[in-house]
Amino acid sequence: MKNFAYREADSKDAILAALAELKDAYVIAGGTNVMLNILDKKVNDRTLVNLRNAKELRGIKDNGETITIGATTTISDLEHSELIAGEAKALWQAAVSFADPTTRHSATVGGNISNASPAADTATALMVLDAVVTIEKKGAKREVALTDFFKGVGKTVLAADEIVTAITFKKSHNCAFIKLGLRNAMAISVANVAVNLVKQGDVVKDIKIAMGSVAPTVRRCAEVEKALLGKKLEDAVIAEAVKGLDKDISPIDDIRATGKYRKQVAPVLVTRAIYAACGCKDGGAK
Amino acid sequence: MSKDIQVSFTLNGKPVTYTVAPHTSLLRMLRNNYNYDVKCGCEEGDCGTCTVLVNGESMKSCITLAAQVEGANIVTTKGLTYGTDEIGHMIQRAFVECGSIQCGFCTPGMVMAAKEYIDDGGIADRKAIRKAISGNLCRCTGYVKIVDAIYRVAKDLGREVR
Repeated sequence: MKNFAYREADSKDAILAALAELKDAYVIAGGTNVMLNILDKKVNDRTLVNLRNAKELRGIKDNGETITIGATTTISDLEHSELIAGEAKALWQAAVSFADPTTRHSATVGGNISNASPAADTATALMVLDAVVTIEKKGAKREVALTDFFKGVGKTVLAADEIVTAITFKKSHNCAFIKLGLRNAMAISVANVAVNLVKQGDVVKDIKIAMGSVAPTVRRCAEVEKALLGKKLEDAVIAEAVKGLDKDISPIDDIRATGKYRKQVAPVLVTRAIYAACGCKDGGAK
Repeated sequence: MSKDIQVSFTLNGKPVTYTVAPHTSLLRMLRNNYNYDVKCGCEEGDCGTCTVLVNGESMKSCITLAAQVEGANIVTTKGLTYGTDEIGHMIQRAFVECGSIQCGFCTPGMVMAAKEYIDDGGIADRKAIRKAISGNLCRCTGYVKIVDAIYRVAKDLGREVR
């Protein structure tokens, strides 16, 4: 028997108070994950705390060097933001390839991150933009780098009385995101990759690469990054560097693809994303 | 045992108040109250036939929590009838005339997705139309005739691409 209660919380303070007071709080924003968990009987005996009407948690803010997005900003908001399209292209590409236009009206960035799916598209893009997650509870606030936020499939550093309130990340004009899905719409990533690249002449001055759906969490590909740092960006150099993915990723078989297939496509995706990030060749990005 | 809650909103122009269990989806709330024009397909957010407009934005009602639409303005296909919604009427006429309906199960969702596309200034561009209905599955038509219908509406509204 399904057993739920409902709590409307139309401001950040009301949400944090509800989380402090209730022992069985289960936050719901867009509902695209939560409703499935309810329908699949994965959760029960909880109080649903509605975040959707807390307007202060929704919005995209330009801070100069960085951008801050509120947790309940929808994927559709990102898709239609000129700021995101121009200054954080990887995140915009993740937004436009996310599910379908209807689902994008509901799904939120905070939800995509907090749900901690290994296939979360926005997480991969945000990770290469040095995203920092703002986590709040009643009377306290902390900031955690997105790279330290995920603890496993569906697991994060969030305590029961905490929520993500905002995500702040650096602008970049040399970044790209590529998603490999089984369809063009409504696809959950078989694998996804984001790259953020800083070049000095032909030499790689700084590079960040992240992949999703190839490990228990979205993660940075440190071996490949290390192999490219300080090198001239050439086909042979990249081909050698992506061999490091063997150490960076640990894909499994699931309903969407086998681990073996993911290992085969990962180097191809990373290579394409590197080229797309520096604006040369067709990176396959939409 | 859940304690029921009341949800008040505007449905196709009329104020309504429904009593539901807190975990009820918007889809189940609508259908439990005899709004059978909203179809239940997969009930997991994939097929799109349950699509309704919530404050003008398309949403899949099966994965929307009923309680969250408190105060919202909701439009279903019943709200697109002749005389109340000119665009909605044009879309439905085009669906009939272009043969866009076979088994008909996806049609309510397709019509709502089309309505949002046209309302948002959508143009007669097949690629853009395909993207707009990409959250809706159809297993009969191969989508061609559905795209034709939406294309015709955009064209009839003078939104041709030159």
